[in-house]
Amino acid sequence: MHLSRYLKLIRVFIGASISAQLEYRANFVFGLLSAILTSGGALFGLLILSGGTGRPIGGWSYREASVVIGLFTLVQGFIGGALSPNLNKIGESIRLGTMDFTLLKPIDSQFLVSTRNVNVFRLLDVLFGFGVIVWATLGLPAATVGGLLSGAALLGAALLLVYAIWFILTTTAFWFVKVENITELFSGLFRAGQFPISSFPTWVRMLFTFIIPVAFITTVPAEAIVGRLSTASALGALGLAVLMLAISRWFWSVALRSYTSASS
Amino acid sequence: MRQVLNKSRVLLEVWFSHMSAYRAEIVIWILTGSVPLIMLAVWIGQAQAAGGAIGEFTPQRFTAYFLAAWMSQQLIVAWVSWELDFQIRQGTLSPKLLRPLDIFWEHWFAHVAERFIRIPIMLVVVIAGVMLVPGTQITPDVPHAIVYFVSIQLGWLIRFQIAYCVGLLAFWFDQATAVDELYFVIAAFLTGAFAPLELYPPAVRALIEWLPFPYTIYYPVQILNGSLGWDTIGRVLLIQIGWGLAFVGLRRLLWRQGVRRYGAVGA
Repeated sequence: MHLSRYLKLIRVFIGASISAQLEYRANFVFGLLSAILTSGGALFGLLILSGGTGRPIGGWSYREASVVIGLFTLVQGFIGGALSPNLNKIGESIRLGTMDFTLLKPIDSQFLVSTRNVNVFRLLDVLFGFGVIVWATLGLPAATVGGLLSGAALLGAALLLVYAIWFILTTTAFWFVKVENITELFSGLFRAGQFPISSFPTWVRMLFTFIIPVAFITTVPAEAIVGRLSTASALGALGLAVLMLAISRWFWSVALRSYTSASS
Repeated sequence: MRQVLNKSRVLLEVWFSHMSAYRAEIVIWILTGSVPLIMLAVWIGQAQAAGGAIGEFTPQRFTAYFLAAWMSQQLIVAWVSWELDFQIRQGTLSPKLLRPLDIFWEHWFAHVAERFIRIPIMLVVVIAGVMLVPGTQITPDVPHAIVYFVSIQLGWLIRFQIAYCVGLLAFWFDQATAVDELYFVIAAFLTGAFAPLELYPPAVRALIEWLPFPYTIYYPVQILNGSLGWDTIGRVLLIQIGWGLAFVGLRRLLWRQGVRRYGAVGA
């Protein structure tokens, strides 16, 4: 695989997306408003939950839990900005048969369906999420450089994990065609990721750790940043990301085998 | 009168069969409106950590509140702004304008019919929730349940008219659905789906009371849970009617102005 070629393609795709979307300036205003309201609302919600910052949230202080909010906003921006503009089109291109053109191109088809589009305005959420993380971390005396670095690594693993989950969900379109809503289902459950996993009762915690791995997406990277990380959950997060990525790869090849184009 | 009843019956039947075909999709939409259920879990966790209760809210009261809030959220769902946005921008509104029936009623009955499909699944979730947290009492008696039914219809009236107004904005600019998404972000905190308003800072709560949002979920839920006296209930219903009528007026105004501006695609 020619890595430089793929990096160059990503640059071209992003450039094309940006110049196509800058035509719609009003979208910027709404993207900005939505980012402000989403992150501001989440921080306000945390304030209510902690009863004016006095009560800990699942054993986390207000500042610590704000790191989780920041990560949640960031991941949501990643989903809205990078995942759904691409992956939610898989179903449509199967229905219309335009998947043919994707498969004929001389580059990896999973790469192409995953990176072609970027929603620039939703990426504002990524910026705001990052801002909240920085603000929250500045108020944490326990934060260390090592913790921040492992937090960044675990965030990378979390993004890969989210990607793999979305990719597998949308690839089921090869059999069920109309699956746009299936990702909505994940988004609905993912909302639980705006709180530290320890704030839930035990059986809900089990659900969000082992069945729908929301805990590994926001809580575990936040644990690294605030200095609560256990080796087990770090290894678990990394292992799960690699495993799910491998499954998504395998799933895509299986799905392609059953693709018969639209009119045949 | 007879004609009106007949039209209503036909529209309801047509849309009911239409929605029945999409029942799998509707089930998914039901499950995506998950905020009150997630908040229920978080607040129970908070109550347990605080030694059993937060203020007067025990896990049982949280369960009664959030199950009712979830149910109410399901009953006031409105996606009409997306439909209107599509119809106005794609020009499919044009043939509908020729019909001797306001397009409003078609959307209205589509939404009403869809709710009948939701009810069985809603009951399953609510009953399962009550069984998971023993001692939960959703409503004290039948009169409160009946008044809740009236109140949630008024809440639905408010929400539907707001969504319709937002959809009509598509006559002026092409971001109507973005406004609706903003509504969702704001409504999560202002309707009471996130927390009972008792747990808000008093100043914030005083501000929210002046807005229509709590009258779509929070107050109907309070009525169902039996947390309000009858005189307060009467006042809530009157305010609901007031907000509903205000938005009916706004919708009619926007419609009249908008249709005048409407130049259909290709016309």
